[in-house]
Amino acid sequence: MKKLMTLIMILALIIATLAGCTKSTEVEAASDSKADADSMETVEQNDFEKFIERGYVVVGLDDTFAPMGFRTTDGELVGFDVEMAKAAFEKMGMEARFQPIEWSMKETELNSGNIDMIWNGYTITDQRLEKVNFTKPYLKNRQVIVTLPETGITTLAELEGKSVACQNESSSYDAIMKAEAFVSTLDGGTPITFETNNEAFMDLEAGRVEAVVADEILAMYYIGQKGVENFVVFEEDLGKEEYGVGVRKSDTVFLEKLNGALGEMKSDGTAAEISIKYFGKDIVEK
Amino acid sequence: MTYIFELMPALLSGLVVTLKVFGWTLILSVPLGIVVALGRLSKIKAIGALAQWYIYIMRGTPLLLQLVFIFFGLPTIGVTLGRMPAAITAFVLNYGAYFGEIFRGGIESIDSGQYEAAEMLGMDKKQTFSRIILPQVVKRTLPAVGNEVITLVKDTALIYVVGISELLRAGKIAANRDVTLLPLLAVGVIYLIITALMTNQFRTLEEKYAYYQ
Repeated sequence: MKKLMTLIMILALIIATLAGCTKSTEVEAASDSKADADSMETVEQNDFEKFIERGYVVVGLDDTFAPMGFRTTDGELVGFDVEMAKAAFEKMGMEARFQPIEWSMKETELNSGNIDMIWNGYTITDQRLEKVNFTKPYLKNRQVIVTLPETGITTLAELEGKSVACQNESSSYDAIMKAEAFVSTLDGGTPITFETNNEAFMDLEAGRVEAVVADEILAMYYIGQKGVENFVVFEEDLGKEEYGVGVRKSDTVFLEKLNGALGEMKSDGTAAEISIKYFGKDIVEK
Repeated sequence: MTYIFELMPALLSGLVVTLKVFGWTLILSVPLGIVVALGRLSKIKAIGALAQWYIYIMRGTPLLLQLVFIFFGLPTIGVTLGRMPAAITAFVLNYGAYFGEIFRGGIESIDSGQYEAAEMLGMDKKQTFSRIILPQVVKRTLPAVGNEVITLVKDTALIYVVGISELLRAGKIAANRDVTLLPLLAVGVIYLIITALMTNQFRTLEEKYAYYQ
């Protein structure tokens, strides 16, 4: 009897949990994309037709990632990539919904169907090409090394025995690790990693690391906000790279259509306009 | 000061999310805790062992890992929860285990004379538990429960990992945008205000229950 009671109580709790949760799902409208897609009839539809029928796509982004994707004080989502995405899907006649994600979980979010693409200063790397398909690049980027003037350091060689910080799970980290000769000379033989670029920069300003490796676009934003005269950017870099939009390997038609829309935006000046708004000049890759 | 004022709408909407997770977790995990405690004390060995394993797993792994597992891991076996339901499920399961152990300690601390006296008065087992034992357990475990509740307020910050914008994340967004630590300071003050309210609430409750002292 007691056993039965306990079982009933546990069951009641599970039901209560689920019922309670349905209520809160309604608010998170964009989060149930997968369920919607699954429930559709299985007529031979390609990936793009599924998106069209659904009427929207879910763009995954890190909304703490200024200037690519961030929020104004009113909570409105803005940024270079956000406006690029909005413009692209306007051309494609679809609504773009934005879902904030934790950056280190991005590929998991994409492949589990919670989001349909990663569009947020997403660098094209060989490693990532194994997990996702990229569109044609739309922005050029470099891995720059930033330090403080008082360290007097201006070259990679002078960083021997020093500490270097970067964001974890980022292309900056990959770039450092790829430069094996450089990594081995660092203090501890590995960079110090942080959740965000900002934390890496704060560590630099606190004097606990001698240099930060970051995407040029992000570094320039931070330096611009803090005062250009307070930082030194090395002439050398740890490699040139490009930003692209990451989509699921299976969404091949969608990739093609998205490439088309991006190409159109490059040629009709939409992309250049957004670039000038956020970076002061047109740095879009033609 | 005007800057902090400008931040408030974003921080407050983050606060709403934080309080939502906090509220649901509290409402659901306390009853679960009672069930777990009863299971742990059950004379049926299988139920006792099950409860013990459950507590072991929930207390023995980081909450962050449980969140990741429930949100990203469960879909691989066909259970797909939305962001908010996944976060609340993880928190309820985790806190249910802690509350379970707190309540078990409370139940075990009740003198056996209480059971005997209840039996003398002709109460059955169910009546004894709900009328005699449970009220005393609530009273004795209040300080420990208060401790957990305050920890819960702060633990809600972990839901960033499933992409929900709670209070701390709202602060981080502002900190990254404006390149200053001030938003995080404001977030800290908001957490302090909530915990002060909670502390106060529990003090009042403890006073209310201190009718024999």
